[in-house]
Amino acid sequence: MGTSLHPVKRYIHETLASALDELSTPDGRPTITLKRRSRNMSLFINPTSRALESNGTETYITYSWPGANAFEAWKFTVIVRALAVVAEAIDMGLVVSKRDIYYSDPACFGTQKIVDTIIDDLAYTVGVDRSALNVEAAAKGLVTGYCSLLTKFGDVIDVQLPRKESLIPNSQDTSEIDISGASWVLVIEKEAIYRRLARSNYHTRAAAGKGILITGKGYPDLSTRAFIRKIYEKSRRSDRSLPFYGLVDSDPDGMAIMSTYKYGSMAHTSQNGRLNVPCLQLLGLRTSDIVSGALSNDDAALIRLTIRDRKKVMTMLSNNPVWAAEGPELEWRTQLQQMLMLNLKAEIEILYDWDGGLEGWIDQNMAAFSQSDT
Amino acid sequence: MSKQYLSCGSADNAHPTDIFSLAVTNNQILSASGVSALKVHSTTDPDFPLVQSIDEAHKLGCHHIVTDGNGSRSVSVGFGGEIRVWSCHDGTWSENKTASAGSARSTDIWAIALSGNGQYLAGVSQDGHIRVWDLNANGEQIRDYETKGSFGTCIDLSVDGRFIASGHENGSVYIFSTETGRMPFSLSGLVKPVRAVAFSPGGKFLAAAGDSNVIVLYDTSSGEQVANFSGHSAWVLSLSWSHTGEYLLSGSFDGKVKVWSVDTRTCVATHSETERAVWNVKWLPKIGKSEGFATAGASRSISFYREATGG
Repeated sequence: MGTSLHPVKRYIHETLASALDELSTPDGRPTITLKRRSRNMSLFINPTSRALESNGTETYITYSWPGANAFEAWKFTVIVRALAVVAEAIDMGLVVSKRDIYYSDPACFGTQKIVDTIIDDLAYTVGVDRSALNVEAAAKGLVTGYCSLLTKFGDVIDVQLPRKESLIPNSQDTSEIDISGASWVLVIEKEAIYRRLARSNYHTRAAAGKGILITGKGYPDLSTRAFIRKIYEKSRRSDRSLPFYGLVDSDPDGMAIMSTYKYGSMAHTSQNGRLNVPCLQLLGLRTSDIVSGALSNDDAALIRLTIRDRKKVMTMLSNNPVWAAEGPELEWRTQLQQMLMLNLKAEIEILYDWDGGLEGWIDQNMAAFSQSDT
Repeated sequence: MSKQYLSCGSADNAHPTDIFSLAVTNNQILSASGVSALKVHSTTDPDFPLVQSIDEAHKLGCHHIVTDGNGSRSVSVGFGGEIRVWSCHDGTWSENKTASAGSARSTDIWAIALSGNGQYLAGVSQDGHIRVWDLNANGEQIRDYETKGSFGTCIDLSVDGRFIASGHENGSVYIFSTETGRMPFSLSGLVKPVRAVAFSPGGKFLAAAGDSNVIVLYDTSSGEQVANFSGHSAWVLSLSWSHTGEYLLSGSFDGKVKVWSVDTRTCVATHSETERAVWNVKWLPKIGKSEGFATAGASRSISFYREATGG
């Protein structure tokens, strides 16, 4: 048996065995202890990996059964249930989604969020990626363009044709990736923009040559980030490393999404070092793009910040070292401050009406980057 | 008739990010930017050297800084919403916590103005309130005027302290009497967001400008619009009156700086050293007969100009 070699199996085995031992004694109180990052952790950009990481202290929370109150008893129960699903998935060699776990007993779990938190806590407690629990969020990201994927089952997924766009596969399922036909990678915040570019075959017709279009549909999931990271590593190992561009809205969420791809998320700091894409460059949208030039004629495209937007910018500036004054992205910091100064945001969609359209705008801005690189 | 203003130096890369605001005294210029430190440069030395860096003033950066008429007090507002009051002794600035006590509780103030004697601080809030604090009475709030709730982008106090003007995102421009707390008349605002308002030194005019690219002059005794200055082709972000009230200085998002003759209502000088946003422009104290001004913005440097005195 390989049980001793598999940390997740070992953890589940030990946890359940000790719980059973307790149950078999007269006054036994089975317990489960979860490790969790403390809330007031301090975040920093790791100078080597250039990922957002934390050195926060860990806290341990122990739930016992029947516990001090009904809440603790329920919490103990839902953790055991989640563990049972994970144990079964690992035994059977299957990958389950957080949704699968939730729907295995919605009445018991109550909400999807409960499941998500338990799975993240379990992964952190065992000290592994969520994927090592055989749990993946339902794949969300999409990819089109000059890359082909070899799955571990031996299938080749080719995503060059617009109709052949593909859900980004779970990171465990892809074994090899071929990007030799691509000259650039464009990571797009929004699905609508991605679809428009894919439909117009931008990945074939761009002035910068053939490329790869990817969207994580808003804030990216771990699978999408892992996939882009895989392309990045492949590109870094080759003799011709590709430029990676991010196209996001000129608003606080757009900038936060950009930062999630490049440095990682505040929620998964332990995994950011394996998922970040340090070479990602902000293609747009910038405040100056929307205020000056041809775009300023259409006032309807300019949207006022909401109170939530302004608060979000303030939280980003104060809590995340990516935007710190001494941080790595002073230009991004300035973008956020310019939004506050002008009380203004804009969506990528305004580029549809630009002279030359969205595609022309991307051509021009990619060219500007490649000139400044040489 | 055109006038010539010559570049007479600059404080290059005074800040590592956009400079959002400038304030002047008789011999210094204070600047605020996207980083935490405020910078003080001497304007009497032709090299404009840095004389003080007020570090850790605003952690999230600072968007407005103002000074009083004597150069003894300054107030700044940070992107985190905090208001800080500074006092100058022998050319060195330090925080005055007593004066800011009351105003410091207000976290939604955006733009500010300081009365000539430094006693009164006026601010306009993001929900359109105009508040006044007495900095000589522990920053106690003494006025709160309500408007229609549109984001207050800019504010000015008349030199005699009798009037406050504010500009708002919905294009509104308001004038309040500080004595009665009332609006003496309603002004026809601009059609687009207002970004700058400024009283002329004698208080006869109020200038307002913003996203409509036009500068509007109001007569403060009637509230009528008496002139329009057109010529900017981008949003006007900042206005400043010369000491005599003869000239109005404006800076815009496309990097242009213009000087307007108020008498002839024409643009007499245009500078376009940069294509990046000029967030703030300010006239400098007169040296002899020669007037000059300073500009700053996304170029991160402070540029200085002096009137060419030939002939």
